[in-house]
Amino acid sequence: MSGIDRMNLNTSSQSDIDEIESLFNISVQPATLEVPQSVPPARKPSSPPTIPVSAPLLPPSSVSSSSQAFSTPAPAGPTLSTGFGGGPQYNTLTEPVWETLKRDLVRVSNNLKDVVLPNPYREDPGKALRDWDLWGPFFFIIFLALTLSYSASENKSKVFAVVFATLSAGAIVLTLNVQLLGGSIIFFQSLSVLGYCLFPLDVSALVCQVNNTKLFRSLVVLVALAWSSWAAYPFVSTAVPSSRKALAVYPVLLLYITVGFLVLANN
Amino acid sequence: MAEEQYAHPGVCLFTVLFKFSALGFYIMCSIFIESFVIQFVVTVFLIALDFWTVKNVSGRILVGLRWWNEVDEQGQSVWHFESLDQQTLETLNKKDAWLFWWTLYLTPVAWVALGIVALIKFNFDYLLVVGVAIILNAANIVGFTKCRKDAKKQIQQFATSTLTSRMGNTIQSAFMSSV
Repeated sequence: MSGIDRMNLNTSSQSDIDEIESLFNISVQPATLEVPQSVPPARKPSSPPTIPVSAPLLPPSSVSSSSQAFSTPAPAGPTLSTGFGGGPQYNTLTEPVWETLKRDLVRVSNNLKDVVLPNPYREDPGKALRDWDLWGPFFFIIFLALTLSYSASENKSKVFAVVFATLSAGAIVLTLNVQLLGGSIIFFQSLSVLGYCLFPLDVSALVCQVNNTKLFRSLVVLVALAWSSWAAYPFVSTAVPSSRKALAVYPVLLLYITVGFLVLANN
Repeated sequence: MAEEQYAHPGVCLFTVLFKFSALGFYIMCSIFIESFVIQFVVTVFLIALDFWTVKNVSGRILVGLRWWNEVDEQGQSVWHFESLDQQTLETLNKKDAWLFWWTLYLTPVAWVALGIVALIKFNFDYLLVVGVAIILNAANIVGFTKCRKDAKKQIQQFATSTLTSRMGNTIQSAFMSSV
C-alpha cells in the first residue's frame, strides 16, 4: 500500500506542474501574441516552467544570465520579430536594445513625414499622429533654440532660454486651449503635432544663417511660416467643434508667427 | 548558492551612469564651461538619455516591467503596463532590482534639492533644467510604480488560482490514497 502511495505522490507533484501550466494557458488571453507552438517550453526539473503571461516565451536562464545586456540576442529564437502584424508594442519585453532604438527612430521619421510633408492622399489628419512621440519635438525645439542662440550677437543664453521656454510653454498652453474648447485631442498627441510642425521653422532658421539680407530672410521665414501653419491647421481644426475652429487655430498661428519673428529678428 | 552578483552589469552601469553624469555635469558645469547654452543642452541631453534608458532598457531587463501609451481606434489614450510572468519575475536578480528602484527614487530627490538651490541663488535659467529633469524622472516613477502594482495583482491572482487547484489536488490525492 505504501509503495503505491509514494507513486501517487510523485505523479501528483508532476501533475501540479501540469496544472499550473494549463491554468496559465487557459487564463492568458493570447490577444497580444501568438506563440508558435513549435518551441516547447524549456523545462528543466529544477527551474520553474516558462509560460508566457504577457511576454513571449522566455527561458528563465536568459533573464538572469550574465551575458552582456546590450547585445542580448533574442533568447532561443522564437517570437521576437515584431512581424505579427498589429502594433509595435507586442513582444517588446524581451527584445534586444537595438530593436527598441530602431523602433523609436523609425517612429520619429514616420511621424515627421506624416505631419510635415504635403500629402493630399493622407487619411483623416485627426487620426494621423496616432503613434505620437515626444522625441521629435524635443529635438526640434532644442535645435531651433540652439540655432537662434548661435546666431545671436549678444545675450546668447538669454535667447536660448527664452526660445526654449516660449516654445515648450506655448505648446502646453495651446494644447490646454484645445482641450478647454471641448476638443477631443489627446494631450501628448497635440504636443507632438505642434512640435513636429516646428520643423519648417527649423529649416528656415538654418537657411537664414547662410544669407543675412533682410529680404531673403523675410522670404524664407514667410515660406516656412506658411508651411508650418498649413501643417498644423488640419490637426487642430479637426479636433474642435467647427464653431470654435478659429479660436483654436488662431493661437497656433500666433505662436508660429512669434517664432518666425524671433528667427527674422535674429542678427 | 553562488554569491549574488549583478546579472546585467552593463545595463546597471548605464542606468547609473546617465543619472550621475547628468547630476554631476549640472553641478560642475559652471566651473568648466562658460556658456549656459552648452550646459543646458548637454545636461538635458543626458537627462533625456537617462529617461530613455530607464524606460526602455533598465526597466525591461532589470525588473521585467514596461509601460507605454497607445492611442486606439476611437482616439482614446490607453496606458499599458506590462510585466513578465510571475515565475520569471522571481528568478530576476535581487541586486539588479534593488539598484534599479533605489536609483529611480533617489534621483528626483537630488534634483529637487538642486532646484531649491537654484531658486535660492535666483538662477531661474537653471530652473528650466531642473524642471525638465523632475518631469522626466516623475514620469518614469509613476509608470514603473503602476507596473509594479499590476504585477502584484497578477501575482495575487496566480497565487489564489494555484492555491485552489493545489488544495483540490491534495484533497483528491488524500481521498484516493485513503481508499
